[in-house]
Amino acid sequence: MADKIKIVMNWASACGGCDVSLLDIEEKIFTVLDIADILYWPVAMDFKRQDVLALGPGSIDIGLFNGAVRSSEQLEDALMLRERCKVLIAYGACACFGGIPGLANLSDRAGIFEVAYHETPSTVNPEGVNPQTVCQVPEGEVTLPEFFDTVYALNQVVKVDYYLPGCPPTEERILDAVNIIAAYAHSGELPPPGTVIASQKALCDECPRINTRTGTRIAKINRPHEIIADPGLCFLEQGVLCMGPFTRGGCGGTCISANMPCRGCFGPTGKMLDPGAEALSAFGSIVGPGGEDALTLPAMKAAVNSIKDPVGTFYRFTLPTAIINRTLKDGRNKVKK
Amino acid sequence: MTVESASSAVNKPRIGVWICDCQGRVSTNVDTVSLVERAREMEGVVTVRRVDALCNTEELARLRAELRENNINRFLFAGCSARSSLRFPEQQISAVLESTEIDKAMFEVANIREQCAWVHNDRKAATAKALDVLRMAHVRLKLDTPRAPATKIIPRSLVIGGGPAGLQTAQDLAALGQQVTLVERGTYLGGRMCQIPFLFQSENWPGRCVSTCVGPVQAAGSMFHPNVECLTSSEVADIEKVDGNFRARLRLGAHFVDPEKCISCGKCAEVCPEEIASEFDEGLFRRKAIDKDFPRAVPDAYNILERACTRCGKCVEVCPAGAINLAAQAEEREEDFGAVFLSTGFDTYDLSRNREFNYGLPDVISGMEFERLLDRGVLRPSNGQTPRHIVFVLCAGSRATREKRGEGVPYCSKTCCGITMKQVERLGLTMSETDITVIYYYDIRAYERTFEAMYDHVKRMGIEFLQGEIEGITGTDDGVKIHVARLEDESTSTGAAHTFDAEGFVTLDADLVVLASAQTPRKETQPLVRKLGLQTDQFGFPMENQPRIFRPTESFVDRVYVVGAAGGPKVVQQSVEQGSAAAMKAAPYLIKGEKELLKFVSRIDPAACVRCRICETVCPHGAIKITEKGALSDPAFCQGCGLCMAACPTHAAELINFTEQQILDQVDVAFQGVPAGAPKILALLCYWCSYCGADLAGVNGLQLPVNYRSIRIRCSSSVNSALVMEMFRRGVDGILVGGCPPGSCHHVNGNYLTDKRTSLMQKLMAQLGLSEKRLKFDYIGVPHSQKFADTITAMDRDLRELGPNPVAVNTRERSETYGR
Repeated sequence: MADKIKIVMNWASACGGCDVSLLDIEEKIFTVLDIADILYWPVAMDFKRQDVLALGPGSIDIGLFNGAVRSSEQLEDALMLRERCKVLIAYGACACFGGIPGLANLSDRAGIFEVAYHETPSTVNPEGVNPQTVCQVPEGEVTLPEFFDTVYALNQVVKVDYYLPGCPPTEERILDAVNIIAAYAHSGELPPPGTVIASQKALCDECPRINTRTGTRIAKINRPHEIIADPGLCFLEQGVLCMGPFTRGGCGGTCISANMPCRGCFGPTGKMLDPGAEALSAFGSIVGPGGEDALTLPAMKAAVNSIKDPVGTFYRFTLPTAIINRTLKDGRNKVKK
Repeated sequence: MTVESASSAVNKPRIGVWICDCQGRVSTNVDTVSLVERAREMEGVVTVRRVDALCNTEELARLRAELRENNINRFLFAGCSARSSLRFPEQQISAVLESTEIDKAMFEVANIREQCAWVHNDRKAATAKALDVLRMAHVRLKLDTPRAPATKIIPRSLVIGGGPAGLQTAQDLAALGQQVTLVERGTYLGGRMCQIPFLFQSENWPGRCVSTCVGPVQAAGSMFHPNVECLTSSEVADIEKVDGNFRARLRLGAHFVDPEKCISCGKCAEVCPEEIASEFDEGLFRRKAIDKDFPRAVPDAYNILERACTRCGKCVEVCPAGAINLAAQAEEREEDFGAVFLSTGFDTYDLSRNREFNYGLPDVISGMEFERLLDRGVLRPSNGQTPRHIVFVLCAGSRATREKRGEGVPYCSKTCCGITMKQVERLGLTMSETDITVIYYYDIRAYERTFEAMYDHVKRMGIEFLQGEIEGITGTDDGVKIHVARLEDESTSTGAAHTFDAEGFVTLDADLVVLASAQTPRKETQPLVRKLGLQTDQFGFPMENQPRIFRPTESFVDRVYVVGAAGGPKVVQQSVEQGSAAAMKAAPYLIKGEKELLKFVSRIDPAACVRCRICETVCPHGAIKITEKGALSDPAFCQGCGLCMAACPTHAAELINFTEQQILDQVDVAFQGVPAGAPKILALLCYWCSYCGADLAGVNGLQLPVNYRSIRIRCSSSVNSALVMEMFRRGVDGILVGGCPPGSCHHVNGNYLTDKRTSLMQKLMAQLGLSEKRLKFDYIGVPHSQKFADTITAMDRDLRELGPNPVAVNTRERSETYGR
């Protein structure tokens, strides 16, 4: 066997669940340690950023990057890893598509600071101070990374070789990634660039409930908390908007088996033009009881209009990679604060 | 053309471009000479011709010749609208291509007349637009593909239901040399017609036919035609679509009595100890377990009702013909058909739903039951005595709308008033000792000549007509009481036998009540309707395509015909007419033995399909079925609306010759001639209504902003919302989607689905800060050219105020900042 390969794991704008997911593979982590040296993993090991910076270009074999990019520091991290890693893997929904933090694109820096540092009931900030990138204090100058207006997915700032989606990635898919790493360690072989380490088909393809789907309309939408779902029946049959048809499979149907509808954390499948508008198009078509000719136009649209939050429903994990990746300013429309 | 050259011809586009001046009606506003120059530069173009008027016979002949001489395999016409032109519409283009060897799918039209030269007076701007329109047609044509070979249609038809409608279809098809299998659930042919002793000939001719005469005649027309196989006591257990045809599983009732041997002597029925209520007699009379429902029933044989027979064997002992075999078994067989005719007739409204009618009383009967009394003798079911006072109640469970209380269907069955007049007239003529009252609610609907004449006749006979509302019907020792309330503002009684009291009530003593009940959809047929994928109206009747105007009896599913009262209330004569119409509608497919595929058909990629069945949910034409491998769209049933394409979550469904690639290619070249600063407006107009509505803006001499472009889309609901989003990304500033007016969609509900999606999309756009004014849906019909012009003009104004579309700007900035 050749020398051990070198890998790193970074934590950007994410909740930490991705780091935990890597620990969740339990003793299989030793497989990784058998073939690889982990040179950097802030959450688990005592290496510092300058240790990575000290390494030369291309000196790391595989970089795992979790989290979205929404600050200058995270951008620097992304650039740092990209320069030094032969292979860069976007690890988790945030790195792949922006993830939950990506919904911050419905606002901007000013709007977010306004809420976080002024408006929330628990905020005590009598002097109305906002974070500054540079601040003079008696001890000298202190700096903070710049907070961006817009949250980015990793591939919007650097080239990404592979995608490991999920919020967080599931054990099976992490092991797929480990196997890719192992194969690379043994033979230097890699899958084609751009490969998504998940199913090539949508979740329904592997969903045990798919055979209960009939061709019927969704007469009325039920939000997940409004009903106790029949665990044997397709969510669409129960009026619950499930993102399964629009979301890449491979997660093992974790949410479905917990009797919750898919929320879309594995992101869109390959042919889609936009991760959310597709769902809007499909649900916009089948929501409503049918028999439109006999209804007034408002009654005809009532069921569809009951979808209160299209962005949150259809782009929960993917807004930064959507065609419209953030709130825009159109004509006299002001950006929503 | 040889096979070799044909295949290479398909591979290598040889585009012929014909640009028509329309004798100045195009060339006045559009510089067609410059178009010719630019057309020559376009990829794959081998011939460009400018003509004065392509629609005249001489030019058409030259066109045909030149298409052949130059081995053209794709035809691009720039001139009048393919949809609206009255001289050179797509039907004419198809005919031209048919006469050459170019597949009929391989053409596109650049509409530089109705939506260009005729709506833009600025010659320079109109010419720039015309060039864009030509480019759009060209990029679309480049990716067009020839149609797949026609689907073979099995030259055998399945007629479900052997009433007057189904029998007519069967015998008309048989006369055309077609093979027909007719499946009748009952024991005889003729259906409800045989239960009605006196038929009015038609609503415009007061002759009378008796079913004793016409029943067997109509039945014999099918029964003895060598091309028709009539299966009585049988049903269609299952039906599915297979390779453009229908595969039915037929369940053939057990032949306990061999009709070949039976001589209808009736000895069996004489000895049979078991009785059962007769369905033919609406349960008013009984028949034996082995019996013939009525003497003139066809086929002329006795039959055994399995549910009543105890297998005692007495009939076997007495049968002189040895025709009875009590061990006979029901059979099933599977057979394929090229066309299906649903002529299953109607149910009558369930009168027990209305407690006020007290339908359980023996002397309260339905109109259909009264028909049986007319045949068997008008005597009270309770005691067999002659009734002294018969009360007829019209709209019993019908027209339950507005202020009329009680349960019921909201519609008028149109037949009941006429039938009641006939029944009353009959009684008036034959039972002079019996009093008759007719109670009606809104009015008497005795339409056309016969019914009105009968109404007039019975009024002259002194029959009482009383307007009021039935409060209740109660039984007494020797009759029934009918409690009637006066309607608020109007109450009349002709004959004046009964008058309302001061409180507005009157009670009638009667000994027979006849409730004229509605014709309702056949419940038993519902599973078949579902399996065939038929659309039903709000009342549950299977719908006809373009309800009965241009495609009578055709359902929304190709080669499934809804015939007679199965599709809504009808009298016998109208049902028979529909039987003939349906046969005629199906004949071309059956005689030709094939169905030519449309230019636009859906194709579903099994590699991407996840069987979520959303395509099946939206398909108005029952063309999609779910298999193990995924959804399958049958091209012979597909009508190319593209609803599946717009709703498919994984882009597995795609419409051939209307692909996303083709649409986006068009968008990419559409706005080259738009001056900087002017908004790029794209009108996505549905194939029939909206596109023609826009064309008529030109015909009607309206002026439109020159910066709009239109794409004729398959249905307003054929464009996915994500595709709309992508169009914004590509720089379109505003999009108008036009769909058929309410109630007029050619694909049942595509317009409504688009309206719904657009509402949702606008909500999304509002969340994302994109002005809702950039996306609009409107119901635009052919007469709405002014509305179209106003909408485009308003969008132009709004979009100028808004400025450039920020999606495109944002996308550009994003890619400049980081690159993707």
